[in-house]
Amino acid sequence: MAISQEAYKVLKSIVGSEYISTDPVVCEGYRAGPGGYECGLGYERVMTKLPSCVIMPRTTEEVQKIVRACNKYKVPYVPYSTGWYGPRSHPHVADELLIDMKRMNGFEIDEEHLYAVVGTGVIYSQLQEEAMRRGMYIVVGGGGSQVSAIANMIGDGWSPLSYRIGLPHRRILGTELVLPDGELVRMGSLALQDDPFWGEGLGPDLRGLLRGFTGHRGFLGIVTRMAIKLLPFQPERLEPTGISPHTTLQLPEKRVKWINFTMPSKDAMGRAMFEMAKAEIGGGVTKVPIFWRAIARASCKEEFWELWSKENEETISGFHLLRVLLIGFASEEQMEYEERVLNDIITELGGEARRTRPSDESWFKNADSAGMWLMCGSYVSVDYVIETIEHAIPHGENYAKLKRKFTPPLMPDYGDPGWFQSFELGHQGYSEFLVYWDPDENTDGVDQFYLETSKENIRKRFYTSLLGSHQPLYLTGPAYGPNYHKWLLAVKDEFDPNFLCHPPVPLAHDQFVERAEWMRPMKDWESPEMKP
Amino acid sequence: MLKGKVKLDVTKLENFEYDMSKCIKCKGCYWVDHIYMPGIKFSTRCPSATRYLFDSYGAYGKMRIGMAMLEGRMDYSDELLKTLYACTLCGACDVGCKRNLDLEIELALEALRIKAVKDGKGPMPEHKKVAQNIITKHNRFGAPHENRNKWLPEGIKPSPQADVLYFVGCSAAYTHPEIAQATVKILNAAGTPFMLMPDEWCCGNMLYSVGMVDEAKKLAQRNIDAVRKSGAKTLLLSCAEGYRMWKVDYPKMLNIPTADLGFRVVHLVEFIDELIKKGALKLTKRVDLRLTYHDSCSLSRLSEPWVPWEGERGEWGMVSPKLERRRGTNGVYQQPRDILKAIPGVELVEMIRMRENAFCCGAGRGTLEAFPDFALWAAEQRLVEAKEVGAEAIVSTCPWCKDNFSRAVNKNGGKLKVYDISELVLASIKE
Repeated sequence: MAISQEAYKVLKSIVGSEYISTDPVVCEGYRAGPGGYECGLGYERVMTKLPSCVIMPRTTEEVQKIVRACNKYKVPYVPYSTGWYGPRSHPHVADELLIDMKRMNGFEIDEEHLYAVVGTGVIYSQLQEEAMRRGMYIVVGGGGSQVSAIANMIGDGWSPLSYRIGLPHRRILGTELVLPDGELVRMGSLALQDDPFWGEGLGPDLRGLLRGFTGHRGFLGIVTRMAIKLLPFQPERLEPTGISPHTTLQLPEKRVKWINFTMPSKDAMGRAMFEMAKAEIGGGVTKVPIFWRAIARASCKEEFWELWSKENEETISGFHLLRVLLIGFASEEQMEYEERVLNDIITELGGEARRTRPSDESWFKNADSAGMWLMCGSYVSVDYVIETIEHAIPHGENYAKLKRKFTPPLMPDYGDPGWFQSFELGHQGYSEFLVYWDPDENTDGVDQFYLETSKENIRKRFYTSLLGSHQPLYLTGPAYGPNYHKWLLAVKDEFDPNFLCHPPVPLAHDQFVERAEWMRPMKDWESPEMKP
Repeated sequence: MLKGKVKLDVTKLENFEYDMSKCIKCKGCYWVDHIYMPGIKFSTRCPSATRYLFDSYGAYGKMRIGMAMLEGRMDYSDELLKTLYACTLCGACDVGCKRNLDLEIELALEALRIKAVKDGKGPMPEHKKVAQNIITKHNRFGAPHENRNKWLPEGIKPSPQADVLYFVGCSAAYTHPEIAQATVKILNAAGTPFMLMPDEWCCGNMLYSVGMVDEAKKLAQRNIDAVRKSGAKTLLLSCAEGYRMWKVDYPKMLNIPTADLGFRVVHLVEFIDELIKKGALKLTKRVDLRLTYHDSCSLSRLSEPWVPWEGERGEWGMVSPKLERRRGTNGVYQQPRDILKAIPGVELVEMIRMRENAFCCGAGRGTLEAFPDFALWAAEQRLVEAKEVGAEAIVSTCPWCKDNFSRAVNKNGGKLKVYDISELVLASIKE
């Protein structure tokens, strides 16, 4: 045990002996890798450590006490909800306390005012089922149904369904945040009374503390409770059917329907997204990367590769599959109307409807991102930008070109340009670029590609509304800011003067580049000596 | 082995290095399939991680711990043994993982226990006592071997020679004779001659479960030889744990396909279901009961036949020759439900977690012996679920489940009735 006996005693007194451990076996169970999101890469190997202690609080008060004790005894700590988000949600420094939030699984739902109040341990599929049972729904972030709803709401939190519902920051209502020194911030209407129905609250909107840069990786405190806005859904049940692994939600076809369209070009897909938005129709939309189709068709890894090896540059560049979700929110007639409008749009653009299964496997309740690991045993979304559709399409194409230099070790994908979609009824365009590699080969090139994308964004002005935590702050801050990095560090200093809340975030990737010898030659930007 | 030769051989942990190292912490092993996610309540399927909470108790933690053991980074300790053995090996993690991935989680967990035994650290002291009973008395209770056939009811005589051989198992022979008695009465009612083993010994479930593979293998060979010698075409079991031993674990230990055993391994529910559908067994007496069915792990998600496999793992983790993964899809799920629905008066209500998502009763694979409080806790969780759906009774297909549920009901003074399916079928047969 590396944290002091005194600190341990205090921590134990907060939660009780059953919910704290320094046992090496228990701590080993919290290792980030070797498998998982971003795991097996240099960042995981160089930057993560095993926790020296794991603690499981039950209440916000306990979290406050733990954080205060950490400050008193100078124990670095990291909050951990499900551990899904790879190395970045695991300890980075020696002698760190991991605060496992799974016991904070409180749940209340307000049907009248359409929101749910969840604890950090509640995951998306739980929330979605509770919502749907009551005629409401939410976006299950593409990261997966297995993620903490809170963690995803303050992190990424989108999917093709965000086309209709919008991005997650708009759905964060009253929220409790334990600051890095243990002080409790009650945001939104919680600041006034014990009612979280309102997100903005009085004065400046403090929700920026949650989502700013890499705040969602736990470097500006710990969210313990959040009210999440739910949206009205249609009334029919989405019926679970099948036996694993062939489980699916059977859709009530007159109220909910996915339709796949083959389109003549990428531009036609983008155009369709625009036109749908202008007509204000649809519940979701996305371009389907050919990977997904192969994953969906394959019953195992080997079968995937059998299918995938039949592809080539030509088939990939000619594959334009648009997947549209229609929801009859108000009535069957509404959906019929939307389908007619959609068909008109698609016909005008030269597209054609394909036979589509009346089921949903991937977006309503089960965002099965885990399936992304089927192909290679590794996966990461190397970059994602939220801007416009015109911006999203070339972003992916550009990355596809860049990727060629790093293939191998990246998986051969014949120039696949990632995927794009529109958010918020066409007001934003989204591009996400997925990469895969063989984790049992040398992965230095993957780490390098990762960094090269940050540079490419700067070079090609693929400015993004969100900076990924894999982008070194001293590289991107001056380019995007120009003083963004200084502001961010000043905020960090103000709220976390002891730098105990998940150090060395937000400088973790900067430190990785310094520490990993295969990354150092890529460093062509200035940075001061790192702390801590 | 990350790349190169690999074999589905649980006696070498290295065979599962790839599987352990590729766990992505999606916790599909822990949560109910998200498609079936029932909401906040009853949302998990792993008893161990639900009870002990720390990640080390979920398969995601155990795979990491397994890697540390394989790489020699982990010393044995009480906590390590508890992590390995406070687990029902119920397979929920395995089918959960295989919904999306191709990882052999259950086999890795079995291999970890075998390694612990080989390293001289496992099993738990309580297991050693049971093992001693099995070796010396041929039953897990340490009861006199000569009492093994005392359960046989008056008026029913096994045939000296028949196509069907009923393997009774320790539980039905010693502690739950009502199951064995109901089984043979059903056979009698259907006009099916059956024989018993001339000298039945324990199936060795406990030995294999706790990692004592050498001892279990000897017993497997002895039992298989005995059945082959008997000339039986069908080996009938009324115990789900025994069923999995014969159908899956014996072939696994002996590196043969289930199909090569030389006889068919059939659980009573499969047998009865066939009889009913052929019209050879009629369930006519009313049994007025609102009941729920508990999927015993070893009959359901873990019962797919064994096929040995060895080959090579190459780039991207692909294996050749092709490996048909056992994903729990073809477990025995429907037959017991069809049987229960065929009983007049029975109202079958499903629990929230069912089939491959069912929450284990907590008794199996050494848990009850070494961690009785945990086993009881798991059964209590299941009973809460049964009550939630308004069941008057819970029915299973395994004496281990019946035993543990009964224990939980007795402890809490509940009114829920606990039955083995054989008892209800018997009650519905007109005399």
